[in-house]
Parts: sequence; structure tokens; C-alpha cells
Amino acid sequence: MKIALVGNQNSGKTTLFNLLTGTNQKIGNWPGVTIERKVGRIKDLGDDLVDLPGIYSLSPYTIEEEISRNFVLDGKPDLIINIVDATSIERSLYLTTQLMELDTKVIIALNMADRLEAKGICIDTEKLSKEIGTDVVKISALKETGIEELKSIIRRNKNAQVKSKEIFKSSLENEILKVRNELKVNRFMAIKILENDKLYQKYQIAIVKNSRQKLEETYKMDIEEIIANLRYDYIVEIKNKSAKMKSVKESMSDKLDKIFLNKFIAFPIFIAIMFLVYYLSVGVVGSFTVDWVAGIVENFGLLVEQGLTNLGASNWSTSLVVDGIIAGVGAVLGFVPQLTILFLCISILETTGYMSRVTFLLDKLFKKFGLSGETLVPFIVGLGCSVPAIMSTRIIKDNKERDLSIMLTPFIPCSAKLPIIAMFTGYFFADNSGLVSASLYFFAIAIILLSAIIIKKLFMKNSGTAFISELPEYKLPSVKYVARDVFDKVKEFIKRAGTIILFCSVTIWFLLSFSWKLEYGIEVEDSILASIGNTISWIFYPMLGTFSWEAAVSAIQGLVAKEQVISSMSIIAGFAEEIEEGSMLFKSAAFKFFTPISAYAFMVFNLFSAPCFGAIGAMKRELGSTKKMLKAIAFQTALAWILASLVFNVGTFMSSF
Amino acid sequence: MKNKVLKKGDKAHLSDLKIGQRAKVLGLHLDKPELRRHLLDMGITKGTEILIKKVAPMGDPVDIELRGYELCIRKEEMKNIDIEVL
Ligand SMILES: Nc1nc2c(ncn2[C@@H]2O[C@H](COP(=O)(O)OP(=O)(O)OP(=O)(O)O)[C@@H](O)[C@H]2O)c(=O)[nH]1
Repeated sequence: MKIALVGNQNSGKTTLFNLLTGTNQKIGNWPGVTIERKVGRIKDLGDDLVDLPGIYSLSPYTIEEEISRNFVLDGKPDLIINIVDATSIERSLYLTTQLMELDTKVIIALNMADRLEAKGICIDTEKLSKEIGTDVVKISALKETGIEELKSIIRRNKNAQVKSKEIFKSSLENEILKVRNELKVNRFMAIKILENDKLYQKYQIAIVKNSRQKLEETYKMDIEEIIANLRYDYIVEIKNKSAKMKSVKESMSDKLDKIFLNKFIAFPIFIAIMFLVYYLSVGVVGSFTVDWVAGIVENFGLLVEQGLTNLGASNWSTSLVVDGIIAGVGAVLGFVPQLTILFLCISILETTGYMSRVTFLLDKLFKKFGLSGETLVPFIVGLGCSVPAIMSTRIIKDNKERDLSIMLTPFIPCSAKLPIIAMFTGYFFADNSGLVSASLYFFAIAIILLSAIIIKKLFMKNSGTAFISELPEYKLPSVKYVARDVFDKVKEFIKRAGTIILFCSVTIWFLLSFSWKLEYGIEVEDSILASIGNTISWIFYPMLGTFSWEAAVSAIQGLVAKEQVISSMSIIAGFAEEIEEGSMLFKSAAFKFFTPISAYAFMVFNLFSAPCFGAIGAMKRELGSTKKMLKAIAFQTALAWILASLVFNVGTFMSSF
Repeated sequence: MKNKVLKKGDKAHLSDLKIGQRAKVLGLHLDKPELRRHLLDMGITKGTEILIKKVAPMGDPVDIELRGYELCIRKEEMKNIDIEVL
């Protein structure tokens, strides 16, 4: 059996989905986290459950809402679980009444039951069930209550037959009936046809038009307004019969918003929080864990080298393992501690509801630069990874604005760029590494805003979207979810180190160890990689102040995965001569030319240039054409080059005083 | 309508209200039909009571309370909603 999970945004669909299927899909306390439908199997029932993007009505407003509507209409689910936020039933039941017009059985799961008491709401489920005419069950997806009852209702309703119920005033019901009888359609379609919905244009016959006209004259409103009004009238009526609301004192969220949305301190708080995120992950904890891990990797390398030599392994195989694999993969793994902290910070910010405040806070600023508050969602998700961030642009209604955000989202320093940032700032700006890392984040925001306004001014006249979104209440993050979320992301990073990075490390080792004539035991300068690098090193001259094939080939590898830049640099450093003791990468012959200024410039280049292949693929899918995608990455890379060169030259000029 | 303090019974636009004021919706005049539809779906229908709850630090958008939930909306859209002050 196929069961669809349908509900408003932020009603807890994904939380319930995870609970029923035992997976850990992404949840976040802001509207619009689920952007694609996901399928899972309900444990102990064996039915397929489909998690759909949140919708408020069956007349879609954004692409993601269209996905949900299409699935509900054409995907032929056998059963619909309508998840309703019990703390705001009036708005939520609006969708419910529409779902119940379809020919599919709807079960209402009143979620967030754990919060009812604090909000002074009391709902009589039995009464509500009788009034609305279907099964209603109170649950808490977070506290895991009512789930067994929900399951038994699902079991009971396999192959249930449904009959739609009349809920409007008779003046409207009569016209609906007329349309149904004339066109032989179900209740849902009849209403949509009356509303003149785009989906059913071919049904616009004279009788329909007459009915519509008659209603509009009687009510002195247009048909959409009439139906919306009457629907809400019905909902208020059943709500008054089955629920009681006590007015409560100022809620916790209101109190917190007095601080976080305060006129004077809201911005300082936001800036402080972002600084804190980078300070924690790159600054404090960062440097000493890296040194510690790097030490382990190095000692492990020495140990393996000894072991292999004792076993009589050949020179080249020992070098492959030690100088290639251990150096390359180890360099990346050294950053697991920082990433863990970064993921933890992001996960907490996402689940508490603070991210929604950020949107609320920055909307006007972004609007001044031609972007709307919705574009902030991808920019926030982008802190973790650009791929889901690019996908989350689907919540943006205006197509041009959406393309623009897709192009600008990769500028946000994603977690894979963190190793680059951490390594450079840790060495060159030791005491201020947290500060310098955060400066890159704000630099990225500034560039995003500037690019947006320039592109808008030049290419897109008169576009813009409305900003209509819910402000969810603050919630304490669920420790279980956050722990699993962080664990999954770290696991993913380590997995990448063991696959892509490992593969690249072997390749880089090969290209460094052999010449074009495939001779082994050559000078690095004669290696294949050096000769490739030498042909492109001029490109990087303006931001480094020197010709460095080593830095050039490493930066290019950011295309594979951003952390590969670090992996490559560490392998090359190992090959280069005169490494001082401590084997610090920046003390090797290959990279000792780096100064704080060129380090910053190089980071800027890696931050803004074309993202990794994964993100490029996502850009292509979401932009819808290869041409647009190529344009976008050309723009990104050109901009990165210009900015990095500017940083280097302006920095050098200023430091000469 | 600027700077004038609105009293009970005054007719105005939703954007004219100050924080803490309540009003009843009289009608929606939005050019974009989908946007109008969306606001209707979100419960901004004739007769609905709205409370201006929070205003973003830069003055826009605004968080309004209606039908037992909170919605963020920009001044630009609020200008097109006619209300009567309660
Ligand atoms: N107190 C409480 N919070 C809940 C409950 N269920 C979900 N939440 C929280 O509500 C927020 C939204 O949950 P999601 O599962 O992401 O909601 P969704 O409906 O999938 O949201 P979209 O993907 O945006 O449509 C999260 O912060 C959850 O932790 C519940 O039963 N009680």
C-alpha cells in the first residue's frame, strides 16, 4: 500500500516520516525544508510512505507545492496521512478540507500534541473526528506518543471507501452539485472547475460559467474568495465545537524574540553567532586538534613506512602508501574535529528556529539588493553543503531570482571548504584564525549582495517575489536528531575521504612520481604533474605573486571536492625538498612562498571559484540547461580570479607602507 | 495616512497599523492572482482578525497573528489589504 504524508510546512512531516520509517531525513525548524518527495517503508506495517514537501492548499504556489499536489492528484496514494499542527488547527484544517474532497481516505494526525497544554489549547479528538467525518489521532512525532494508535488506524483503513462530505452553505453546494452532475466529476474537480483552476481549463462550459457568475453576484466577491471564505467559516464552526483555547501569557518565543529581533541588538547578535560558529570550529578547538591529529597521521605514516620496509616492500609501493595515500587522505581526515563542530553548530541553529529569524531579520537588507528573504534559505543551508542548498532554491517563486540564487549559493563557504580555511588561517593567522575565517563568511555575503544587485540591474528588470512565510516558534533541539544528523554528515565526509580523496591521492602520487616517459625516481620538477602545473601557473600569478605549479594544480582539484585542495597540497609538500622538522606544509619548499596576504587571496579564490562537480551537477539540474550552468561557473570562476587578484594586490600595496 | 494615529473604526491598509494593533480584514487588492490566492489560502479572508505582533528590526517584514498562528509578510503586500481598526 502507498501512503502519502501531506501537511503544512513545518508541521513535523519529516519527523514523523523518520520515526515511522526509521531513517534520518533532514529536518529543520523553518518552513520548506523538504523539497523533494522521499519514499520509505513503514516499520512493522510494510507499507510505502511518501514524504512530500509542505503545502498549505491544493492550489500550488511554488514548484515544491506543485510536486505535492501532483503526487496527491496523480500518484494515486491508497491512503493520505494528513499531519496537522495541533497548535494551529484553524489554518491547518484548510488543507484537510481540500484533501477530503479527493476520493482517497484521509487520516488526520494532530501533531505537536506535547505543546498543546503550554499553549492553552484543548482539543476533543472524538468530537473533531465526528464533526469532520474521518479518523483523528493526537500524536507527538517528537515525543513519540500516539504512534501505535496511528499505526492501528492505518491498519484498519486499508482499502477504506470514502464519500465526500458537503461542508459549504447550500447556495454553493447546489452549484457544486450541478457541475458534478453535468460533467460527471468528483467533488474536488467540481470545485476546482468552478474556481476556474488552470488544471481543468477544458471543462469551462457555459453551465459552469453561469454558476460562477451567479455565485459571484450573490456574494459580491470573486469565486476564489467565496470558496476560501466559506471553507474557513466551516473550519471555525467545527473548531469552536471541538476545541477550546485559553489565552496564555506571553509565550517563550515572544520573549526570546524581544531579544533576537530587538531593533538594536538583533544584528550584533546575528554577527556574534556567526563569529562564534567559526570561532568554535576553526579557532579554539580547531588548531590544537589538528596538530594532534596531524601528529597521529605522521606517526602512523612513519610506522607504516617502517613496517613496509621491514616486509621488504619496494620503494615505490612504500611511497605510494605513505607519501600518497596516508599523506593525502590523512590531511583531510585531520579536519574531522572541526567539521564535527561546524555540523553541530549548523544543526543546532537549524532546529532551534533561529534560522527563520535570520530570514526575517535580513529580508529588507537583501531586498535592497534585489533578493528576497527566501533566498536566504539556500544561503543558510549552503553552510553545510551546496548541493541541498541549490535544491532548496525551489522555494523561490520567481524564476529569474531563483536562477540568480542558484548561481550565488556556492559562494557560501560550505563545510568542504572549511579544511582549506582552517589550514590557511590556522597557520597564517594563528591567534585570530576564528576571526579571519568568519571574515570570509561575511566577505561571501557582501559579494553575494553586490553580485545580486549588479546582475539584477543589468539583466533583470522588474522582477521580485513576495515574502510570505511562517515564523515558527523556538524549539529545543532534539539531542537524538542532532546527534544522528552530525554523525551522518561526518560519516559522509569520512566516506568521501576513503573513496574520492583516496582515488585522487593515488592519482596525484602517480603524476608526481613519474615523468611523461614513465620513469620513476625522478626529481619532482620533472614529474607529469609539475609540467601540467607549469602550463597553468601563470593564471594564479596575480593572486600569489609567484609562479607556483603546486598551488595551481591543487586549486584545480577543488573541482573534485573542495577538501581535495588540502589533500593535494599535503602530498606535494611531502615530495618537495628541504622540509623542516615538524613537516608543516607551509615550511616545505613547495609552499613556503605563501604570505598571509597570498594565503587570504588563495582562500578567496577557492571560496568563489566553480564549486565541486557535485554542486555543478545540482546547478545544471536546477538551472535546467547546460548552457546556463556553464555561464554560471564561468561567472563564478572569473569573479573568484578577479577578487583574489584584487585582495593580493591591494593587500600587498597597503602593506608596503 | 502617514503619522496619523489610527483609532477604532478607522478604515486603512494593514501596513498603516502599529505594533500591538488589531484589525479586521475588509478586502484584498493584489495584482498578482496567484499571490492573492495564496493569501486567501493562508487565511486572510474577509472578516479575519489580524494582530500586528512583531516588526523586523529594519521595519520590514512584519509578523502578524491571525487564525491562531503567525505569518511574516512584507509591507508591500500589506498595503494591498484593506482593514478596519478594532
Ligand atoms: N514539540 C514538537 N515539535 C515537533 C514535533 N514534531 C516535529 N517537531 C519539530 O518541528 C520542526 C519541523 O519539523 P519537520 O519534521 O522538519 O517538519 P516538516 O513538516 O517536514 O517541514 P517542511 O519540510 O519544512 O515542510 C522541527 O524543529 C521538529 O523538531 C512534535 O510532535 N512536537
